[in-house]
Amino acid sequence: MAKTHVRNNIRVLRFQHGEMTQQALAEKVGVTRQTIVAIEKEKYSPSLEAAFKIAAVFGEPLDAVFSYEPGSR
Amino acid sequence: MTNLTETSMNMTFKEKSAWGSLVALALISYWFFPAAFNAASHASDPGRLVWLSIGCIVALIIMEGIYQSVIAAADGGGSDERDALINLKAERIAGYVLGIALFSLVGRIIAVEAFEVAETMTALTIAVSILFTLTVSEVAKLISQIAYYRFSA
Repeated sequence: MAKTHVRNNIRVLRFQHGEMTQQALAEKVGVTRQTIVAIEKEKYSPSLEAAFKIAAVFGEPLDAVFSYEPGSR
Repeated sequence: MTNLTETSMNMTFKEKSAWGSLVALALISYWFFPAAFNAASHASDPGRLVWLSIGCIVALIIMEGIYQSVIAAADGGGSDERDALINLKAERIAGYVLGIALFSLVGRIIAVEAFEVAETMTALTIAVSILFTLTVSEVAKLISQIAYYRFSA
C-alpha cells in the first residue's frame, strides 16, 4: 500500500474545526467520503482544485494543509 | 460479519459497482464460453449460438441493472475525481490485456493457416474467441479497479 509524497494535516484540522466528520468535509469539497479517507491516509493525492477546496473549508492557506515530501520512490 | 459491513461501508458506489459487474460477468462467462465454443466448433446449429449470445447479454444487462439500482438506492451513487483516475488507470491495463489477447489470437490464426499446427478455426470459433478476449479485457479492468480502490490511488 504505497503512500504518496503529499503529506497533510486534514485529520488535525477536522478536529480543530468542531470535530468535523469526513462525510461533512466530503460534502463541502464535493467528493466522496472514501476519497477524503484516501487523502487522509496519504494513499491518494487530490487534484489541485480539490486541495484548494479543502484548504478553503478550513480557512487555511494551501501550504498549511498540504506539504510535499520528496522520497526515494 | 462486522468486518464485511465495515468494508462495504468503506466502498464507493463505483467500487461496489465494479464488484457486482465482476461477479455477474464471471458467472455468465463461466456458463457461456464452454457452451459457445462447443456450439461454434460443431457449427451444426449457428442459430443456437446467436440465441445463446443474445440471452447471455440480456441476462448480464438485467443482473447489472438490478444490482446497480439496489446499491444506488442505498448510497446515492455518484463519483468523483478519484473514481475517474482509477477508471483511467484500469482502462489502460484493460487496453494492454486486450492488445495482448488479440495479438495472440491473430498469431494463432496465422500459425494454424500457415503451418497447420492445429485444426483450422471456423469463422464462428474466431467470433467466439474475439468475444472471449473482450471479456478477459473487461475482467482485467474490473480487477484492476478493485485493486486500485483497495490498495492505492
